[in-house]
Amino acid sequence: MQEKKISRRSVLAAGAGAALCMPFIRPAWAQTQTVRALMWEAYVLPDVVSKFEEENNVKFVATFFDGNSEAYNKLRVGGAKEFDLVQADGFWPQLYFRDGLIRSVDYAHVPSAANYLPEFHAEKFKVLTDPASGSKIGYPFCWGAYGITYNAAVVAPEKTGTIECMFDPALSGQLSTSARFEENIALAALLVTDRLGSREKPRPDGKPFNPYVLTDEELDGVKKLLIEQKALLLTRYQDNPTLFQLLQSGAVVAATEFAQVFRQLLTAKDRNPKQDFRHTLKMKEGGLGWVDTWLVTSGVEDGPKLDLCNKFIDRMISSEIMKRIGEVAGCSTTIDLRGISTEEERKVYLMDRSSEIADLFMFDQPSSPEKWERVWSNVQAA
Amino acid sequence: MSEAENRLNRRLFLHIPTVFLVIFFVLPLIALVVLSFWQTENYKIVREWTAMNYVTLATEPAYFIFFIRSLFMAIFVSVFSVVVSWPIAFFIVRHGGRYKLILSLLLAVPFLSGEVLRLIALQGMLGPTGLVNGVLLKLGAAPLRFIMYSNSATFIALVYLYLPMVVTTVYLSLLNFDFRLASAASACGANRFRIFSEIVWPLNLSGTIVGFLLCFIPTLSAALAPRFLGGPNGVLYGMSIAQQFGESGTWALGAAMGVVLFLFSMLVLGVFSLGIDLRRTGFTGMGRQ
Repeated sequence: MQEKKISRRSVLAAGAGAALCMPFIRPAWAQTQTVRALMWEAYVLPDVVSKFEEENNVKFVATFFDGNSEAYNKLRVGGAKEFDLVQADGFWPQLYFRDGLIRSVDYAHVPSAANYLPEFHAEKFKVLTDPASGSKIGYPFCWGAYGITYNAAVVAPEKTGTIECMFDPALSGQLSTSARFEENIALAALLVTDRLGSREKPRPDGKPFNPYVLTDEELDGVKKLLIEQKALLLTRYQDNPTLFQLLQSGAVVAATEFAQVFRQLLTAKDRNPKQDFRHTLKMKEGGLGWVDTWLVTSGVEDGPKLDLCNKFIDRMISSEIMKRIGEVAGCSTTIDLRGISTEEERKVYLMDRSSEIADLFMFDQPSSPEKWERVWSNVQAA
Repeated sequence: MSEAENRLNRRLFLHIPTVFLVIFFVLPLIALVVLSFWQTENYKIVREWTAMNYVTLATEPAYFIFFIRSLFMAIFVSVFSVVVSWPIAFFIVRHGGRYKLILSLLLAVPFLSGEVLRLIALQGMLGPTGLVNGVLLKLGAAPLRFIMYSNSATFIALVYLYLPMVVTTVYLSLLNFDFRLASAASACGANRFRIFSEIVWPLNLSGTIVGFLLCFIPTLSAALAPRFLGGPNGVLYGMSIAQQFGESGTWALGAAMGVVLFLFSMLVLGVFSLGIDLRRTGFTGMGRQ
């Protein structure tokens, strides 16, 4: 039998192999639970996450997305097993629930849910109720619109009462819109359908008008309008900090956005007193609205994991954290913070205007993502 | 070492990279090709064989326009990078002295930060409130509109991103070039232009082509630079592919676009490889300078 010698090289090789394997070998007692969230980056408060991890001996792993369709795709590809919590807005939670990607929830296990503004109470806010079973499918979080933020020192306020403002040649090179294709098309659709007078006509889905369900004629009108708009835009901003800089510097005087940048501009320390930023929530042709939510994926079963998810949501919608999120992300909250806010904060964060959400068209899934993609590509290529 | 151990070592040496390449390179490519012959409807994959995505690419002018934009951008960026790289690399090789290595390593400094960070920094430089236009505005001059959210801004960004690759490749080629050949030509009465055009350039052409391709291929599929800097008219092919796999959820069409890009890149590589003669790459085997 051949005798094997233990050489220095073999010891080093074995040591290196063992060291490389160490991160993957852990005793059972050292295993911590992980809460995995698919969420918007703006809502991450590192200190809140750290405290949650510490108190519950868990690891919180966040994955970020930009738009609903992107999150939906990620959830579908990875399956609900890849994430425990997910965020969505508008009618998207209904789609998630229909596709079995999220589960029903019980507000009784999230004490902070008792502090919702009247419009977002479980029995009133039907967007998060499954029509078939009547069960709740998620928790409202922040709300807002896709309105026009403008510098009133340059743009007359009455001009922004209509979506035409974003297509005004007089503001050429000083306009900006988001890079999200759904909202660009849906907002332009409000103007096109208003001009065509086609909202009252029978709709393709047989339901009342929804700017996310359009006829081919309307889509064609949208395409022409967006191509015209291209020449007037400085850029389509990719993120809020970019838009903030563009508006604050005066390079852009009017932009469609989620009112988040508007609030950041108002609360900025180095604010230019000559600038007078204002936000139009709803234009005469209508407006788009959103309510961000927290949803629990169908991969989470009853038990410790669901308890952890509920605890996290409860923490996130607590008054103290919601106030901070409103300040950091610049959004209005669905939790009633009027008792702990100043008059100025009530005004800036639209705390007394939450009822207006009912008049806005909620963010939704495009009737045909393929058709909408062609329209958007044609606009981009024109 | 026994013959059996030797064979085992040889197998491990070859099989590990082969398995790695098959799993992470060949299989994803096959998956991409398969996906390109399926369809996506309402964010769902329909597993029915169809060439519809390729028909869409052939009939919708938008995708062709994106491709042509990308192609021109890649050609301009690569040619410009080669033109700029040559004097830089030549200077380092001929006059770098004992700092040659340090100077060549300095070229890699931008790679120490991420691509997104570099692009955001560039956005700050070229934007309406950036360093360039900020200074111009302070001086009372009009801002340079062509560098703000335009194809020019994307061009600057792509040159900034890939120039170090081209310089490094040309530098390595020149480093191994036997400059005694140039001295011999000079001694025989050739002027500088003739020495460059008939000796230095042809003997380093292969290295230059490799540098060109290292810039051309990634530029052809660039997605981030046009996204951050391109503006409303700056959408390129790679950005459109990213859009199909991201917010649009039209993955099958994106896969078809990817296959077309892959085939075109292979074609370019094939054509250019005809011009590469490894015996004439500057590696003359006659020792270094």
